[in-house]
Amino acid sequence: MSLTFSLAHLMGGIILLCGFLQLSQRRLAAMITLYQSEALVLSAAALWQGFAQHELALYLTGLITFALKGLLLPWGLREIVQRFGMIRAVETALPMAVSMIFGLALIGIAVLVVLPSTEASLSLTREDLAIALSVVLLGLLLMIVRRNALAQIIGFLSMENGLVLAAIGMPGMPFVAEFSVALLVLLAFLVVGVFLLRIREHFDTLDLSGIEQIERRGR
Amino acid sequence: MFGLPGHGMQLHLDALSILFACILLPQTVAAALAGMRGSIAFWVFVLGMALTLAAGDGFTLIFGFELMSAASWLLVMQGDVKPATFYAGVAIFSGACLIPAIFLPASSLAFVLVALGAGAKAGLAPLHSWLPRAHPAPPAGVSALMSGGMVKIALYVLIRYGFVVLAPAQQPWWGTVLMVAGAASVLVGALRAVLEVDLKTALACSTVEHVGLIAVGLGVALRAKALGDATLTGLGLEAALLCAVAHGLFKPLLFIGAGEVKHATGTLSLNWLGGLMRGMPRLGALMLLGAAGMAALPLGPGFAPEFLLLHAVIQAAAGGGILARIGFSALLAVLGLGAALALAAAVRIIGIGFLGRPRSLHAAAAEDARRGPFIAMALLGALCVPVALLPGLLLGVMTPVIRLLAPDADTPPLTYAPLSLLLLALLAALAAGFIQTRFGVRGLREVPAWHGGFGRPPAWLPFGDPHTQPSGAGFAEPVARVLGRGLLGAQGQDPSEHFLLGPLLRGQRRAVRLAERVRRATIRERLAFVFAALVLFLLALGLGQGG
Repeated sequence: MSLTFSLAHLMGGIILLCGFLQLSQRRLAAMITLYQSEALVLSAAALWQGFAQHELALYLTGLITFALKGLLLPWGLREIVQRFGMIRAVETALPMAVSMIFGLALIGIAVLVVLPSTEASLSLTREDLAIALSVVLLGLLLMIVRRNALAQIIGFLSMENGLVLAAIGMPGMPFVAEFSVALLVLLAFLVVGVFLLRIREHFDTLDLSGIEQIERRGR
Repeated sequence: MFGLPGHGMQLHLDALSILFACILLPQTVAAALAGMRGSIAFWVFVLGMALTLAAGDGFTLIFGFELMSAASWLLVMQGDVKPATFYAGVAIFSGACLIPAIFLPASSLAFVLVALGAGAKAGLAPLHSWLPRAHPAPPAGVSALMSGGMVKIALYVLIRYGFVVLAPAQQPWWGTVLMVAGAASVLVGALRAVLEVDLKTALACSTVEHVGLIAVGLGVALRAKALGDATLTGLGLEAALLCAVAHGLFKPLLFIGAGEVKHATGTLSLNWLGGLMRGMPRLGALMLLGAAGMAALPLGPGFAPEFLLLHAVIQAAAGGGILARIGFSALLAVLGLGAALALAAAVRIIGIGFLGRPRSLHAAAAEDARRGPFIAMALLGALCVPVALLPGLLLGVMTPVIRLLAPDADTPPLTYAPLSLLLLALLAALAAGFIQTRFGVRGLREVPAWHGGFGRPPAWLPFGDPHTQPSGAGFAEPVARVLGRGLLGAQGQDPSEHFLLGPLLRGQRRAVRLAERVRRATIRERLAFVFAALVLFLLALGLGQGG
């Protein structure tokens, strides 16, 4: 049982580290790599939970995560980067250091909220939940501090990873919920990909600050 | 029919509502005669006022009150859109204050809300600035009923709640609040009535003044009732109710007359009128009667209430602590100033508008009032006569109302007997006439012309002398220099607009700018906003549990 705990915590910690490191990366390629490793660790965590809880659905979740988020989505993202020639620095709305300080504060808040409010539950669930909430909040922060549309998508996907992490840590979570979330993310990715193409056609860039200026002036 | 579920609509008439219904009835008839018969909104307006008076429960009262507001808004809109919008805002504010007040238990908070709601609707300072804009806008009959009737309905709500419903929780300072607001209304209303060039606007400002007088009377009575002073309570209530009755007669008369002036000459600006007494002698005589009431001249309908009010304030100033004495003395000074200004306003309306020489061709060619409005005015004028000459009798009739409002109030007899005064004056006039016919000079005698106050006309004026008469603005100039610039600001702006509406407008602009900023926010800013809210919520949750 203690091995279950420590391995689950280790993998949760790695996921959180990947989410946090994404905040500090300027380059899209590095962010995608971090996202990929996050998803791979997530799929391993799901498989491990499936083994520990003797739950077939969690094996399935792990496999789907591996195929979809570990391979397919990073490949798609890299394809977009290649096609648009965006192997260059990402413009950020906030300085790196400030956004990292914010990230630290968010992790603190997540721990502060989850640990006292779930004292009655299993400790496995509690700490996993704190980590998952931190990953979700970091993903949201990533969406806010980046101007580039692709970086915002990575933030969104990273946030969704946090949700899945929370779901697999919870014994008795129905499989259909995880499956539908995964499907939703794929659909969202497709839609956003189409949007990116359109934005690119119109503005020759994926930097949204130009659009923000137009919004400010035009309306 | 309507009404709260399970309660139904309860109607109940007592002495107070019957008195106000009696105030309302003649002016409704007059306004209908003056040409509002065919308007549905007008009759809904009247129905709303009647329903407010006949209400037996709070819901019916507020229903009637809001019906009245909505219908009068429609009627004002027929005149002009801008004042109607302003008026709608005030009506909504008043409803927002009254509705919670009616369902609150008897307390000071409830009284403050009632005073704000009913005071805004009645045109009490500092919430009066809508009145000189909205009352002149609609046709004359509606103006008459709004000024004479609707304002009284708002005061009825104030009296009903201040004296009857909230009586268990009454405090002396309630009366002080009413007195201060009333004194401010008297001062601002009377001053603006002297300064306004538009006839109907001047009349509406005079309405503000009379509402202030009624509020001062009510305030004196309310304070005395809470302190247990029986005589003063009776005096204050007598003054307030008699003022309401008199104002409900002469103000509609003046407004309908102003409507006829507009019909005959096409303008209401005193600067373009003049000499109407020659073309419209009957209308002029009736307007003179109304102006005598408005100026509170002795033997006019407005004198007895003012006399009673001054009486009450002098008596109040003679007793109580040092602060109360100083306050009542200051109130006395304000009332005296208000009376003088009201006299100036009435003299100006008659002297500039109806005497002198016509200032325009239209004024010169004016014909007398049409039949319907003339009958309406004659009816109101005829009713003014008993109010003016028999106020003692009227006060006797009102005793049950005063008993209802303050069960242990004294009703001291009125020490002013206009009928005998009139007889004495008639005797003196007859004697003077006799002496003149017996010993006077017979035949005509030529004397050098004095020009009657006219200057020598400049050669370039096509009309010759009419424009060398003092104009409406010119007549008011001394008052404007002495008082107006100091109290109202350089442009003659109402202080309520400057100190109340100005900041409101600025606040609204700021809020609009903020809303526009939020509307233009980019996706990232919106996300950040939601995110910050989420984080704050989580933080509160965590800290709440930790602590």
